[in-house]
Amino acid sequence: MRRGDVLALLLAVSILPPLYAVLWHDGRGGDYARILVGGQQRELVSLHEDRTLEVSGELGVSTLEVKEGQIRFLASPCPGQQCVHNGWIHFGGDVLTCLPNKISIAILGGEQRFDSVNF
Amino acid sequence: MNQKPNVWTQVGCGDEGTASFAMDAVCDVPRIPHYLMRALLLVILLAMLAGCGERGHVYRQQAYTFGTIVDITIWGHDEAKAQQAMAAVFADLDRMHRDWHAWEPGPLYDLNQALPSGEWVKIPEPVKPLLRRARALSEKTGWLFDPGIGQLIRLWGFNDQFYNRTEPPLQAEIDAILAKHASMADLEIEDDRVRSRNPAVYLDLGGFAKGFGVDMAIARLKELGVTDAIVNAGGDLRVIGQRGARPWRIGIRHPRGQGIIASLEVAHDESVYTSGDYERFFDYQGRRYHHILDPRTGYPAQGVVAASIIHDSSAAADAASSALVVAGVAGWEAVAKAMGITQAMVIDDTGKIHMTPAMAKRIHFEVSPPPEIILSEAW
Amino acid sequence: MSAPLLRHETLIARTDDFRIAAWAALAITIHILESAVPMLLPGLKPGLANVIVVAVLVCYGWRSAAWVALLRVLVGSLLIGTFLTPTFLLSLSGALASVAALYLAWRLGGWFPRWAPGALGYSVLASMAHMAGQFFVAYALLIPHPALLKLLPLLMTLALAFGIMSGLIAAAMVRSIHGRERTDQIT
Repeated sequence: MRRGDVLALLLAVSILPPLYAVLWHDGRGGDYARILVGGQQRELVSLHEDRTLEVSGELGVSTLEVKEGQIRFLASPCPGQQCVHNGWIHFGGDVLTCLPNKISIAILGGEQRFDSVNF
Repeated sequence: MNQKPNVWTQVGCGDEGTASFAMDAVCDVPRIPHYLMRALLLVILLAMLAGCGERGHVYRQQAYTFGTIVDITIWGHDEAKAQQAMAAVFADLDRMHRDWHAWEPGPLYDLNQALPSGEWVKIPEPVKPLLRRARALSEKTGWLFDPGIGQLIRLWGFNDQFYNRTEPPLQAEIDAILAKHASMADLEIEDDRVRSRNPAVYLDLGGFAKGFGVDMAIARLKELGVTDAIVNAGGDLRVIGQRGARPWRIGIRHPRGQGIIASLEVAHDESVYTSGDYERFFDYQGRRYHHILDPRTGYPAQGVVAASIIHDSSAAADAASSALVVAGVAGWEAVAKAMGITQAMVIDDTGKIHMTPAMAKRIHFEVSPPPEIILSEAW
Repeated sequence: MSAPLLRHETLIARTDDFRIAAWAALAITIHILESAVPMLLPGLKPGLANVIVVAVLVCYGWRSAAWVALLRVLVGSLLIGTFLTPTFLLSLSGALASVAALYLAWRLGGWFPRWAPGALGYSVLASMAHMAGQFFVAYALLIPHPALLKLLPLLMTLALAFGIMSGLIAAAMVRSIHGRERTDQIT
C-alpha cells in the first residue's frame, strides 16, 4: 500500500464519525436546563439525572421535575397554571416559563431546532 | 499486495505524465490551459477554507421585562458588542414597560387618570409615538382591536398577572360596562394633546405596547451596529438579518398540547406575531375564558384559538393578530385585507387551519398527521 | 471527442481514442450489468464500473479516466433507457463529483509524488465523492426531506467499503495492465 493510499483511507474514515455524530444525533435533546428567576440565573440542572427540585419565585415555590432528559413544571403557585399545562420540554433552545412566578427554564445544548419560538 | 510494493509505486503511475502528454498531442480532447486549472484548484481550496472559516456565534439572553420573558438573540463575531447591545435593549424595554403600563403609576397611568375629565390633556412625551399609532391601527381593524376597553379588561382581571379569576364576571357587570361604549374611537388627538368624549375610556395598550417595544428594541440594536438579531417578547417576534448563511428558523407554539405546531424561516427585517387564547386564561365549567376580549360582546373571543401573522411592521402585526382572533373564522379575512396583511394563519377551535396562500408557501407543519388546512380564497 | 476540422487533421481515431473507447465499453458493460442487479436501497450500488475508471486513471492519466467515467454514464444511460431521467441525473452528478475528486487527488499527487495515492486510495476517494455528489443532488433537487439526511452516514460508510473493495480489484488490474503493456513495448 502506498503512503497516499493510507492518507486517502484516513481522510475517508475520518469524515465518518463527525457525519454520524451530526446526523445521527439521537434524541436531539439538550443536556442542561438553565433556570432563571426574574431574568437572573438561579440554577443549572443536568437533564440526565432524574429529580424534582423546588425553585422559589415571585409568588412562591414552583416544583420542577426532571425525568429522562426532559423537564417540566410539576406544580406552581400561579393562578393560571399554564406552565404546568405546557408539559415537558427537552429540545435545545426550548423555553418554558411561569410568568406570574417569574421563573423560566431554557434548555441548553442538544440540537436547536429553532432559533426562537413564537408563543 | 504488500509483497510487491515497488510494482505499485513505480510501475503503476510512473508514466502517467507522458501518457497524458502523448494524448494531448494526438487526441483532440478539448484542452483547458494549465493556469486555468491551477486557478480553479486554488478557488476550490479557498472555498473549502472559507467554508471552515465562516464562523459566527449566537449570543442569547433572556430577561423578565414587559410582563413576559424577553429573549434576544444576536448572531455575530463580537461578544462584547453583543452583550452590550443586549444590556442596552433590556434597559430600554424596562423603561418602556413602566412608561406604557396602564395600571401602575407612570405616564400612561397618569393620562388615564386625567382622561375622564373630558378636558384637553397634554400627552406625556413617552406615550406620544404610541398613542397616535394605536388609534390609527385600531380604526383599521374596525375597532376589533381596541385599547380603549381598559375597564372591561380590569373586570375580567386580565390587567393583573398575579390575579386570576376562577369564574367569569356576572352578565350584569359586563352589560354595565358595555353600555358605556368605551372605545379608543372616543379619543380626539391633536398634536400633543388628547381628550376623551367618553369618561369610560381607559387605555390598556397591552400587547400593542409590547409590539411597539419590540420595534424600538430592533431600532436600538440597528443603532448599535447589530445587523443580525431576533427580539422575541412572547408572541411578538421580529428579526433582522439572518443567522450567518441561513435565515432565522422560528417555531410557532402549538395552541393546544405541547411543543411546536409549525415552523418558518424569516430574514431581513420581518415580524412574526402570534396571539392565542393560551397566553392568559382560566377554565370555568369546561369553558376557556382567555385574555383577548371581544369589544362587541364583552366576552373572550370565540372560534379562533390562535392567529399568526408575518408582516414588516411589528406594531401593525400585533394589532392585527389580536383583531384576527376577535374577528373569528368568518371575519378574519376581511380584517387582514383591510390591514394590508397578506401572510396570515388562523387556527380555529376544531384544530383546522385557515391561511392565506402567501402564508401557506412559507410555513412547515411540525405535527403528524398534518392538520387540516383551508386555503383562503380571498387572495 | 469532437474533431476540430480547422486544424485539417484527419478524423482517424488514435490509439488513445481506441483505448478510451475500449475501457469505456468495459465500464458501460459493468454499469449495465450492475443496473440489472436488484439492490436493497435505491441508488446504492457497489460501483464496480469505477474500478475501470480508477485503473485508467492510474495507468493513463486523468484525462482518459474522465472520458471513461463520463462516457460510461452517458452511453450507459442511453443503452438502459434512463437518459435524462432522475436516475441519469444522479448517476451524472456522482460521476462528476468522483471525477472532480480524482482530479484533485491526481493533481496533488503530481505535486507531491511521495504522497500520491495508488489505485486503492483513488478508488476510496472516488467512491466517497460519488456517493456524496449523488446524495447532494438527490437531497437538493429530488427529495429535500430531512429524514433523508439520516441515511447519509450509512451510505458513506457503505461507499467506503465499496471503495476499498473496488480499489483492491483496480489495483490487481493495474498490475496486469502494466505487465501487458511492457510486453507490448517489447514486441
